[in-house]
Amino acid sequence: MTNSPPLLQVCDVVKDFGGVRAVDHCSVEIETGGITGLIGPNGAGKTTLFNLVSGAIAPTSGRILFQGRRIEGMMMHETFKLGLVRTFQIPREMKRMTVLENLMLVPAPQVGERVWASWMMPWRVAREEASIERQALEVLELVNLAHLTNEYAGNLSGGQKKLLELARTLMAEPKMVLLDEPAAGVNRTLLQSLAATILQASVDRDITFVIIEHDIRLVMNLCDPIIVMANGTVISHGTPTQVQQDPQVLEAYLGGAVSDSS
Amino acid sequence: MDIISYAAGFAIMAGIYAVFSLGLNIHWGATGLFNIGIAGFFALGAYTAALLTTQPPDPMLFEDFTFGGNWSEIGFLDLGIDLWFFLGIAAAAIACGIIALAIGYVTLRLRDDYLAIATLGIAETVRLFFLNEKWVANGSKGLYRIPKFLGDLVSPENYDYIYLGVVLAVLVALFIAVELALKSPWGRVLRAIREDEVAAEASGKNVFNFKLQAFILGAVIMGIGGALFAHNVRFLAPITFDPLLATFVIWAMLMVGGSGNNRGAILGAFAVWGIWTGTQFLPGIFEDPNFRFFMIGALIVTVILIRPGGILGEERRMAQTVKD
Repeated sequence: MTNSPPLLQVCDVVKDFGGVRAVDHCSVEIETGGITGLIGPNGAGKTTLFNLVSGAIAPTSGRILFQGRRIEGMMMHETFKLGLVRTFQIPREMKRMTVLENLMLVPAPQVGERVWASWMMPWRVAREEASIERQALEVLELVNLAHLTNEYAGNLSGGQKKLLELARTLMAEPKMVLLDEPAAGVNRTLLQSLAATILQASVDRDITFVIIEHDIRLVMNLCDPIIVMANGTVISHGTPTQVQQDPQVLEAYLGGAVSDSS
Repeated sequence: MDIISYAAGFAIMAGIYAVFSLGLNIHWGATGLFNIGIAGFFALGAYTAALLTTQPPDPMLFEDFTFGGNWSEIGFLDLGIDLWFFLGIAAAAIACGIIALAIGYVTLRLRDDYLAIATLGIAETVRLFFLNEKWVANGSKGLYRIPKFLGDLVSPENYDYIYLGVVLAVLVALFIAVELALKSPWGRVLRAIREDEVAAEASGKNVFNFKLQAFILGAVIMGIGGALFAHNVRFLAPITFDPLLATFVIWAMLMVGGSGNNRGAILGAFAVWGIWTGTQFLPGIFEDPNFRFFMIGALIVTVILIRPGGILGEERRMAQTVKD
């Protein structure tokens, strides 16, 4: 693992919003495999970093490399094609489409996405649809949403929408998934199965996860390594134990929370 | 009055409006593109077809446009049947497609409300272009020698029935094509864009590209509607493409029938056109155009209050596989 180049490299990235510097000369490397936790106080720049890496916004300066390839300034659908998929802190589901349709949308490339495909080769599109639907139903079983297959996504609860976001990334067959607060609003019972699903996906499907999460207990149990951000830059990067003992982290953010949970 | 021939004339116009309504259903119903410049594509399609088929300009009739007509001089195309009618429709579709590509390329990166302003402005520009540039299509005097489909082969009293057949055939063909496309994965991407552009982008879809495709396909269908209109009314002047009757009324049709549902789009066209033409037989003050527009407004409000999605509304697409 140490011999291969890092899956994701963020090199000296800066992002300004007007006079506010949201990300400040941030550099971080994430190796292939495993589940990386990204924590830090509110306003640390975690979600902005996700937006920069996924292509939702372009950096003011700096370089971002995915599998050794420059990706800064790409559009989200372009980073998606490279195998880099993200979710949103506030779920963005297609409200007037069913849960199943939300998932069947994702796999790419689909023959049926050409406008003439339904006129010229309807049978091929139908076969492709049947196989995508099978795949979507499997993913729905995995995230415990199978009973809501034909429900409009807009009718789901907040926690269910979070699960739908996770399911969407699994449909993409990605190399790396960026999860922005996947556990927020998910109840305690479901949280266990959510953690298990992420762990299983990272092992079975070879997906590298990066997770922004405020639930410290979940992060400490699930993630290794852990990256801590504050004021737009990385202040600590290491195993859960190392991070918990880093005085800078204790000062910036964790405080008493670590001793409470350990 | 002969009720059957009146019904045929009514069905022709309702059928032509249904074509526009189908086009708008791709723009707004499926993709959420706020096009309030339907009149622009309507005019472009109608004038393209008319200029390709009308008689050549005759100075004695005060016609001072430059191009137009008399393609029958080209021998091999003079087959006794009206090929130019079909070529006119194809040209109208292509012209609208090209203009939609150009407009869409510069405006579809904008947010919804900017697209609305841009399309409205372009529709007015098209209308004023045909009004002021007399050399193109005779300005405000208009084109009034647009030939019938099949020329003089059909007796005038039977023409409406023949033309109704043409309009319905085109409408059915377009309905099937649009229905297949919107139910396919292509249509699914469009609906995803309508619901949330950012989420569609995060799901790996090139949002701009799909919006452009939808904008062009809708405009092509509107161009075909314009061409059908030209050969029915057989008189075109810029006043025809007033935003009220060439844009607003089509929006009313889609809203009433059911945005996102192709059957609804067609039903809405017949319902709204029925009210619009039906009310002209009312006595006295009710015959007033303003009252008739008021009736359409009242219909929209009633439908929106009782059935917000329109009479038919969008269908939910269920899983195909039976789960055990």
